[in-house]
Amino acid sequence: MSAIAEAYLNTRISAMSVRLLDTPALTGLAELKLPALAERFGLEPLLDEQLPPRSRARAVEQTLLHLLLADLAILLRPLDATGRGLLLAWARKYALINLKTLIRGKLYGLDQTEIRENLFDLPARVRLPHQDLYRAENVLELLRVLEGGPFRLIARQARESYEQRRDPFVLEAAVDSRYYAELVRQANQLQGIDAQAVQHLLGAVLDRINLLWLLRFRFSFGFSPSEAFYHLVPSKRLLHRERLLELANVDGFEQLLEALPEPLNERLAGAGSLIEVQRRLGGLLHEECRRTLAGGRSGVARALAYLFLREHDTHQLYALIEGRLLKLPQEVVDIALGLAPPNCPMDLPTAA
Amino acid sequence: MLRPLPMKHVRLLVMTDDLPQASLTLAETESFHPDERPPESQALAGVPGREYREHYRQAATRLDKIAKLVDVPATPPITQLHVVHPDELAAVGILLRERWEEASRFEESFRRLDDEERFIRDQEASLANFANLKIDLGKLRSKTRFLDFYVGMVPRENVSRLQGAVQLADHLLFNYLERGDSAHVIIVGPRGEGEAELSSVLTSAGFQALPIPSDIAGMDPARKREELQTRRAELAGQRETLRTELTQWGREHHETLVDARRTLLLAEPFVNLGPAVHSAGHLAMLAGWVPARAVAKLDDRLGASLALPFDMTVRNPRPDERALVPTVPARSPLLAPFTTLVKQYGIPQYGEIDPTPLFAVTFLLMFGMMFGDVGHGAVIALTAFLFRRKLKGFAWLGIALGLSSMLFGFVFGSVFGVEDWLPALWMSPLHDPILMLKVALGWGIAFIIVACLLGIYNRVVTGNIEGAIFAPHGAVNLLFYLGFLVGGYGLATAGRFGWVPMLAVVGALSALAVYQWRHLTGPIAEKALIVFIETLDTVIVYLSNTLSFLRVSAFSLNHAALAIAIFTLADMLGTVGTVITLILGNLFILVLEGGIVMIQVMRLEYYEGFSRYFSGDGHEFTPLRLRRGTEAS
Repeated sequence: MSAIAEAYLNTRISAMSVRLLDTPALTGLAELKLPALAERFGLEPLLDEQLPPRSRARAVEQTLLHLLLADLAILLRPLDATGRGLLLAWARKYALINLKTLIRGKLYGLDQTEIRENLFDLPARVRLPHQDLYRAENVLELLRVLEGGPFRLIARQARESYEQRRDPFVLEAAVDSRYYAELVRQANQLQGIDAQAVQHLLGAVLDRINLLWLLRFRFSFGFSPSEAFYHLVPSKRLLHRERLLELANVDGFEQLLEALPEPLNERLAGAGSLIEVQRRLGGLLHEECRRTLAGGRSGVARALAYLFLREHDTHQLYALIEGRLLKLPQEVVDIALGLAPPNCPMDLPTAA
Repeated sequence: MLRPLPMKHVRLLVMTDDLPQASLTLAETESFHPDERPPESQALAGVPGREYREHYRQAATRLDKIAKLVDVPATPPITQLHVVHPDELAAVGILLRERWEEASRFEESFRRLDDEERFIRDQEASLANFANLKIDLGKLRSKTRFLDFYVGMVPRENVSRLQGAVQLADHLLFNYLERGDSAHVIIVGPRGEGEAELSSVLTSAGFQALPIPSDIAGMDPARKREELQTRRAELAGQRETLRTELTQWGREHHETLVDARRTLLLAEPFVNLGPAVHSAGHLAMLAGWVPARAVAKLDDRLGASLALPFDMTVRNPRPDERALVPTVPARSPLLAPFTTLVKQYGIPQYGEIDPTPLFAVTFLLMFGMMFGDVGHGAVIALTAFLFRRKLKGFAWLGIALGLSSMLFGFVFGSVFGVEDWLPALWMSPLHDPILMLKVALGWGIAFIIVACLLGIYNRVVTGNIEGAIFAPHGAVNLLFYLGFLVGGYGLATAGRFGWVPMLAVVGALSALAVYQWRHLTGPIAEKALIVFIETLDTVIVYLSNTLSFLRVSAFSLNHAALAIAIFTLADMLGTVGTVITLILGNLFILVLEGGIVMIQVMRLEYYEGFSRYFSGDGHEFTPLRLRRGTEAS
């Protein structure tokens, strides 16, 4: 990337960063009612009282995603091919969410219309390359179409597991692993200061994902150490391959948290549940992204950090709106937004 | 011919039950371009036919998938038109679902055969590898009392993770061969708890066990190869049988599938109407644009075909709708290739003059003048004629360019660059280059004036009076240009610019400057700078645009000069050399010079012509159509 393009990108990111939500801004938003939120973020579907809450929530989610992808489109312009490849690989997670929705829908024999209603409408450069996927009428047909495209290997191994177990887990886990492996591959193609900064940031992302997956697979799903390890994508930062092999062999939740390297063990000390671990890890990643955004010298890394944070804001906003649409009590909404500790509010009034 | 076909806005109110029939009739007439704007009345907020469209989409998707396996014509002939009711469409959807389920089984069987063939190839590679090993692999066929063995393949990208995973189950993984996307591995470890643990990991990793032959230790490679070849031949036989069965299946269901296609084609017009249909209860509204001359016929056809009452309101397009009205393209087959070239720039907005006829005439004239040669023109025309099937519509363009080139060849007396074979009707360009330049200049001036006049006319008819006067290439610009020309001519011939032209130039430039000043915002210095630069730009643009046409004569001179160069070169060589030089030289002129002249003419048309009078931001008339083949097709 030329010096001019780098300067332009950094200026753009700095200008866009102003829109990111900090805690006071989020607290302020949490006090707003639906009409005010709709007006603030241009979410007209919120105001259409004729639509059921589920459709309104879906329309809002789609609108928020479009806003996020519009930011992505702006950031892509000054980037060179490698940087663009990395950011597009990041955005392809939404295409993969669509793919998983399709798989699940076909597996459970859902109606085409119902499946389609739950798919994200994505721009051409992000969406799955095969429109035929959408037209498949059963799992075997879907797998056949997948075998003809970039998910060939996943589809082949999924076929066997599908025929044996009729369980989408293996396929979905393979899709997730492949997504992060592709991000790592794209990051490895960067050079110089960009490579170092992006790999550092991506390492934080993978550390978080690996730890959550490991805890979930080992202690929620009851997977063996070897199967739990198989689904992980080692990072180059804290949870590298050798460490993951050691951690996968640990037999208790607390013991595993204690066995974590610094600063993870310190930050996660006393976290009694997976939700709490998830919350604290989210906070760690958030700090890392803020640090990269504020003081990073690599435009690509800053762009990626901005997208992580913006995506987080989008999720927060969606949680707030969904809470409002479902008429949940403010205490629950505050917990969902991370504004209150995740304790069960026992004296809550009954939700309407 | 230059003026657009007058269009009417048609609003049709029909009963919802009559919508499929109405859309079929509209498609039959091929005169209704849907207007997809939301209705002005909130009462018509309903969108009818959602279910119909969904049924259509599903059925069409199924048929398209089937058509990839067996032959189903895309547009079979439809002799009997009938309305496709929702129940019929739903029934076709169900029928196609059943047919697709059957066809899908064939597809799945082909996939299994592909898999088996791939597996045999991997086996061959693996066995070749085993044969070189110095261990008794026969012992790996079954588990021993203490050891657990797995021999097989996994996707290459999974090997590293699988290696770690088997390590956790106290096993070891050896990757002994990599082939394509797959890695051939042996996993070995103690029997016991780890064995069960490994099983689900292997499934997740897509592990595929490779059978090890019982007699591998003393295996005869030739015999094993033969066995695999036999199996391969069996698979080829199975594939052939499957193909025959598929063909037979296709033949059995051909009529059903063609009928389904017909039904879908008949249902298509209603589906394509999409957002142009709105409803309130049992009443539906359709809106669209119809050529004025087709309105009466459309009314008659609707009256004859609709069973229930309907209402058709016809009105002229409002001025604010002008940008939405579609333009009917020139339909003359002679103009077809030129229409394509015009479309590269844009579609004329409704009301604007269609530039295609003018474009065609000026294009041919300029090409002929720049590439005037009877011989070269004849080659171009003949080549286009001989390749008319491949060139399709563009064959006529080639023939016309060739004929124009021949015409100017007679004018210049040039045949393959030889100027002695034919008496020139006028003169060779090289005999008086200055006169040629003057002619080109005169042509350019006329071209620019006509383009400006067309631009003014287009703005007037679209209601943009201010633009017609003050916008670039409007009336004030034209006044400046005329003053500039007359003054320039006076200066060149009598040595003085003249008061009247001077007044016209100064007055026009001042008017433009004042107009721009009033439309600018910002500090005075900035406004002054912009106005100064814009005024200067006007002078420079008209001067440079006029001089730009000198290329018309420059290329005619160039053509003659190139021919002389080739003859001079040929004269310096022997007989064979002369023949080769003449052939290659003429080819060079035809291909390279001909290509450059084409580009230059396009440039003059687009930049000096279209940019003055043609906005190109209209949209084409694409009426609702019923796609159907003819009996012959």
